[in-house]
Amino acid sequence: MSTASASQRRQSPGGSRDRRAELTLGALAVGVLALIALMVVTVFTKAWPSFAHNGLDWFGSGGDADVQLKAMVQNTPLPGHSIYYFRAWPLIWGTLLTTGLAVLIGLVFSTFAAVFIVEFAPDALRRVLDPVVRLLAAVPSVVYGLIGILAIAPWVEHHLISQQRKHSVQEIVQLTGANLGLATLILTVMITPIMVAITSRSLAAVPRSWTEGSAALGVNRWRTTWRVSLRTARPAIIAGAVLATARALGEAIMLSMVSGSRGFAANPLDGGTFLFEPVRPLAATIIDYIDGLSVVPLAQTLYAMAAVLLVSSALLSLAGWAAKQPLKKYGIRA
Amino acid sequence: MRRPTRTATTALIVTLALVVPATAGARALLLSGSTSIFPLMTQLAAAYHKATHQPTPKVGQGTSDAGINEVAAGKVDIGDVSRDPIIGVDPKGLVFTKIARDGVCVITNPKNPIANLSREEVIAIFTGSVRDWSEVPGAKISGSIDLVDRVASSGTQDAFQNIFLGETLKISPSAEAEESNGLVQNKIRTDENAIGFVSFDFTPGTNAVGYQGIPCTLQNAKSGQYQGVRNFWMVTKKTGTSPAAIKFIDWITSGNAITKKIIGSDWIPIH
Repeated sequence: MSTASASQRRQSPGGSRDRRAELTLGALAVGVLALIALMVVTVFTKAWPSFAHNGLDWFGSGGDADVQLKAMVQNTPLPGHSIYYFRAWPLIWGTLLTTGLAVLIGLVFSTFAAVFIVEFAPDALRRVLDPVVRLLAAVPSVVYGLIGILAIAPWVEHHLISQQRKHSVQEIVQLTGANLGLATLILTVMITPIMVAITSRSLAAVPRSWTEGSAALGVNRWRTTWRVSLRTARPAIIAGAVLATARALGEAIMLSMVSGSRGFAANPLDGGTFLFEPVRPLAATIIDYIDGLSVVPLAQTLYAMAAVLLVSSALLSLAGWAAKQPLKKYGIRA
Repeated sequence: MRRPTRTATTALIVTLALVVPATAGARALLLSGSTSIFPLMTQLAAAYHKATHQPTPKVGQGTSDAGINEVAAGKVDIGDVSRDPIIGVDPKGLVFTKIARDGVCVITNPKNPIANLSREEVIAIFTGSVRDWSEVPGAKISGSIDLVDRVASSGTQDAFQNIFLGETLKISPSAEAEESNGLVQNKIRTDENAIGFVSFDFTPGTNAVGYQGIPCTLQNAKSGQYQGVRNFWMVTKKTGTSPAAIKFIDWITSGNAITKKIIGSDWIPIH
């Protein structure tokens, strides 16, 4: 622009335009950071009263989380407690179970699927699988939830849950098609494509000289893949797992449809019945009680759950970064 | 003109061109709230448009509590609420206008056609003291009882608890919570062991259970014999409600022949 003075133009050719671009981009970046900081501060300020009234026992167990939340909605405190009384352990346990199981199963599946796509698949099949995996990763999660609740849940209820099983726990909880097993299954299906896409891309980027050198030493294909390629791709596998865990943690609507909508701490000691018990992860709880936002204690409890989710996402990123540190000494760019 | 100035001017003109026609003409009323009132309100809105040629009010649904929150926040003009106002919980500054009464039926699957339940039996089943169909006299099936409830923000749930269970007792927390009347109806239709409660308009396809010896029919509800009847309200803000919204509510509560016919088809007219 001609507004730059002649002397400025002589000092740095294209300088003032560069400076303007630099300042604009810097302002945008700082703006995003400021927005995130503002969001975090808002959530924690609104969540504080719930933590203040419950202390560290907020994370503990003690009664039925649903009963406590309903008491807040109806403005009738439970006998002997304040209106803020809340014990989130069944919800936290539900979150840990669904996310943990889904990521573990997904890791196994995605690693083997990625190895197949990169190493062993014929070219024609690979050309089909690559875009299909990327498409699956982009499907909105509500679609999975709808298929789960309309098609799979009734089938599970009629064919997999027997009357005896229902009878054995009927005093405590109702078994329906929407349960921990279905939630874990659909969550796994939802997050595996992300991990497959990331892992396969990283496997394909392993330097050919390394794999060819291994083959030259007489190592067979499977062992090369396992010992050389996968080892090199470890940072990507970790990054994929972190991404998938973050998506699973935040998955609200789909899980509120298929996980049973019941804040029950599923008991692994129940054996097979464990998979058929209803759970309700934290994000799904926020969705289920969002209509009561005008009731102040409930709103503050929901913000407290949101704060827990924020902190766990931050810890997740930290864990991902920490897991990659030991790999740096092997010269892998992590 | 320099290019950036030209782009900015074009953007401004296009935005104005889009905004001006959108604001011209009367805006349609927005309603939201109870899933029980939804079928009634859509019929009333269509009839209102035919009778007065005002734009058809747009009716949404999302439980009574959501309707109250949205009208208090100014997001909709009128909230549909199927439970009585609760002091201390509802936001201040709201006006509740009664428009009709509605029957609430306990329903079971057609394969389990229970004719009648007494007050004690309803309380025992819905608070969770009785968990098996073998303990319910009149049940035609065996197995565990699948209790179906509504979410905490539902007006029908509030009305059911107050009328059928009394002031203090609450529905068992192990019940499955459904978002709307339609989902409860669907669940009862597909699950033989299920029992739940819905607004009278949602009983087709299920077995409506009599209460205290009186069958749950529209005639019994209108005559006052059937006890499970609750109020339908339209909620507006005390200050700042549009005149068009007030006109709509006045038309509904005026007791004219059109509204009487619509309300009388599946609900209980009171004007």
